[in-house]
Amino acid sequence: MTNVLSLLVVIPLAGLIPLFLFRRDERAAKQVAITTTFVELVVSLWMVKQFVIGEPGFQLVEKLEWLPSLGISYLVGVDGISVLLVPMTTLLTFIAVLYSSGGAIKTRIVEYMTAFLLLEIGMVGVFIALDLFLFYIFFELMLVPMYLIIGIWGGPRRIYATLKFVIFTLAGSLLMLVGIVAVYLQSADASGSRTLSLPDLIELRGRFPADFQFWVFLAFALAFAIKMPMVPFHTWLPDAHVEAPTAGSIVLAGVLLKAGGYGFLRFGLPLFPIGVQAWLPVLIVLSVIAILYGAIVSAVQKDLKKLVAYSSVAHMGFVTLGIFVLNLQGGVGAVLQMLNHGFVTGALFLFVGIQYEKTHRRMIADLGGLANMWPLFTTFFGVFVLASLGLPGLNGFIGEFLVLLGTFKFGGVPLGGLFWGPLAAIGVILAAVYLLWMFQRVMYGPVREAYRALPDLSRLEIACALPLLLLTVILGVVPQPFIAYIEPSVDRLIRLATDPSFVVVAFK
Amino acid sequence: MTGADIAAVYPEIIVTAVALIVLVADAVVDRRRAALALPLLTIAGLVVALASVFNVVPAAQYFRGFVTIDAFTSFFRAVFILLAIFAAAISPAYLARRRVPAGEYYAIICFSTVGAMTIALSSDLITLFIGLETMTIPIYVLAGIQRTDRFANEAAIKYFLLGAFSSALLLYGFVWLYGITKATDFVTIASVLTAQGIANGPTIVALALVTVGLGFKAAIVPFHQWTPDAYDGAPTPATAFMSVGPKAAAFAAILRVLLGALGPLGVDWSAVLAVLAALTMTGGNIVALAQTNTKRMLAYSSIAHTGYILAAVAAAKAGPSAGAAVLFYVFAYGLMNLGAFACLLYFDLEGTRGASLDELNGFGRRQPLGALAFAIFLVSLTGIPPTIGFVAKFVVIQPVLDAGLAWLAVVIALNAVLAAFYYLRVVVRMYMYDPAEKVPRLVSGRTLSLSLGIASFAVIVLGILPNSIYQWALDAAQPLVH
Repeated sequence: MTNVLSLLVVIPLAGLIPLFLFRRDERAAKQVAITTTFVELVVSLWMVKQFVIGEPGFQLVEKLEWLPSLGISYLVGVDGISVLLVPMTTLLTFIAVLYSSGGAIKTRIVEYMTAFLLLEIGMVGVFIALDLFLFYIFFELMLVPMYLIIGIWGGPRRIYATLKFVIFTLAGSLLMLVGIVAVYLQSADASGSRTLSLPDLIELRGRFPADFQFWVFLAFALAFAIKMPMVPFHTWLPDAHVEAPTAGSIVLAGVLLKAGGYGFLRFGLPLFPIGVQAWLPVLIVLSVIAILYGAIVSAVQKDLKKLVAYSSVAHMGFVTLGIFVLNLQGGVGAVLQMLNHGFVTGALFLFVGIQYEKTHRRMIADLGGLANMWPLFTTFFGVFVLASLGLPGLNGFIGEFLVLLGTFKFGGVPLGGLFWGPLAAIGVILAAVYLLWMFQRVMYGPVREAYRALPDLSRLEIACALPLLLLTVILGVVPQPFIAYIEPSVDRLIRLATDPSFVVVAFK
Repeated sequence: MTGADIAAVYPEIIVTAVALIVLVADAVVDRRRAALALPLLTIAGLVVALASVFNVVPAAQYFRGFVTIDAFTSFFRAVFILLAIFAAAISPAYLARRRVPAGEYYAIICFSTVGAMTIALSSDLITLFIGLETMTIPIYVLAGIQRTDRFANEAAIKYFLLGAFSSALLLYGFVWLYGITKATDFVTIASVLTAQGIANGPTIVALALVTVGLGFKAAIVPFHQWTPDAYDGAPTPATAFMSVGPKAAAFAAILRVLLGALGPLGVDWSAVLAVLAALTMTGGNIVALAQTNTKRMLAYSSIAHTGYILAAVAAAKAGPSAGAAVLFYVFAYGLMNLGAFACLLYFDLEGTRGASLDELNGFGRRQPLGALAFAIFLVSLTGIPPTIGFVAKFVVIQPVLDAGLAWLAVVIALNAVLAAFYYLRVVVRMYMYDPAEKVPRLVSGRTLSLSLGIASFAVIVLGILPNSIYQWALDAAQPLVH
């Protein structure tokens, strides 16, 4: 069966049909959504099984004529990077839907589940699209459902937050659209036939002159930098996260932010090597600023959810730093960091949400002593906090360590790795400071009377958190199997990015 | 006049006949049945006309060079008839409610459509001008058809005065062209201008007058001032038609005259058009941002869309892709803008007023399917995939970049962000606010809901599979290439 990737796009779409038929029955809607996302998860694992480790190129490729008059085709495939990001997406979506069906969402369940299934199509599609036109469609397809999820089921300032989220994201992505069209026009050969297929574009990127790459990479980079988000484009993120419902935060942090980092890796590095070199100093500096700024701002947050949101800015800083030091360790570290951040920050948002559902408080000052009442909650939450701050043995460590290693080896301008490496390392220390300090204030101290009768984790909540906990530990203890997937593809990308004349036949 | 000449204009003859039959039927059929019979009759007749468009006569000139039938003609004929069908389908409930004379209403739409079709088939300044007037005069009547409403009267008068003014300017420009070239047919004009070479004083005067005249018709900034009041004051179903039919026709005229006849000068002129396009989209969007009434907001946003289409006209030197972009955008715009205006018909408000933002609160719950259609049209107008509006933006940006107007492409992108702000604000009101205490009564109509359902479905399907339409537009743009 070679159509597994298209199947991943079709399953959530097919799930919309029973959802529509049972639109008057909320229970049935929940079951349909859970079943659909579970099937999607299983199929995505089946896809991983079909993937051949060690091949750097795209696999499971499917190609269909789509817009022949424009030379655009439906082209999907995965390499060692996306093959892991897709199951991460399906797992987080499944958990988000499962958690939402437990009572966290009380109104308009059917519309909510519809939005989530549409969102899943966009998220999975972004990671498998190999045609820029198709990629753009999936990239934008993520936007409208998330806009509705925040705007309808969000907190008190949800409308401000969701409009800000949409306007920021659109501003970036529409400029990227101009960039995509520019690439399309530049791809014309002597006969005038044009393409947006990534494998073809990689082969003919020699046609992209230096100043073209400078501007078009900027257009792409703006879209991805806003999505990630990189400082100074991050201001939408705390608002969106704070107002989003828990499940929305999980996929927003877990998956949507990755679309930015993935975009840099998938399109930025291989298509515009000269553009990357030109913007490299800016991107490195912004990454390190994000790491330090995100950490410092997290430390002073009074709102628990906002703290986790700002910590995402810092963690994403490690991703971009790893990508743009342009060596194997950095690149592998960045991809691992994306996975880790997906699982760990997804879990942190889940636990902040669980906690809020019980206490109805999110201000750190209002909390305290939770550890005494909720041993299970404390154990889970503690592990995720430790993973997030990069404790060796848990997954956060591997990614950040590799990124730092790559940064120390970085020899480019300005100032070199021996300057940026230690600076980024300070970010790791700061992460320990703000996360442990938060943990201490929230979990320890005297028990508040008001919270004494509140129950510990329910079975549903454990079911949601357990897969993430297992992955956190497994990725931390035996990262090698995962690195085996990632390494060949990252290696190829780094070569493409560092040597403009390097040409590969993209897939066989 | 030969039999071949007559066969060449069958679609126009059929649409004219439909208009006349509707007028007669209005007198014959009794009042209660007329409410449903007249629109059905109109739609059936127009469907026949649409079929006749595809019964293609050989691409050639007819009526001794006054008429050209080519792929371009067929494309625009089909678009005009489709828009007329859509406009007829959304109207019955509103007309019955407001006691608007239905016979006149449908006949006017048909007459106006004949005029628009005449523009598309013109190969001579005289044919074009006749078509333009045949299209516009019924629209003046349409704007004021709710005779007792003073806003409708204001709309009709404003539209009429400025329309007459712009027609005069245009005609004056045509006279200058005739004086320069001693000809009125596009082919001769183009060849004389080519022989003359670079633009001189008189050609620049002619070009400026024609551009301003057509600029008024298409509502290009700074010739757009009539638009908001005319659109706002006219009965809402009429506004829906006015905002797309005449605009599409104006672009048919712009393509025929500015690209066809004045093509040899087009390269010199494109910078001016590019600046006008940027002004139009930015001006329309900025003012639309400040509106609190959705009807007025859509009126301004339609000005912004004129700017996007004009950007493709300005990129004419990119070749057929520019013409195809104009045609594709006109088609997409017609579908989504007519649909968006038609969604306002769900609100039963006094006079010709459109719903304010507050009155939209909770629309998503009160009328789920109508709100869904509205949301789809708005998302499409914003240019977010997977809708036809996104593909339209894509195909417009392409020739604009190809013609070396990178700055204009960036302006288009930034404008789409501006537009997102006010379009999505409507979605916010529909879905994220609870209905206010006092909300307007909602009314529905079977033909309205059905046509909106089909149109919003088409917006999505053609957004995912736009190939056939784009290929058609590409073929239709071929005759414009020299």
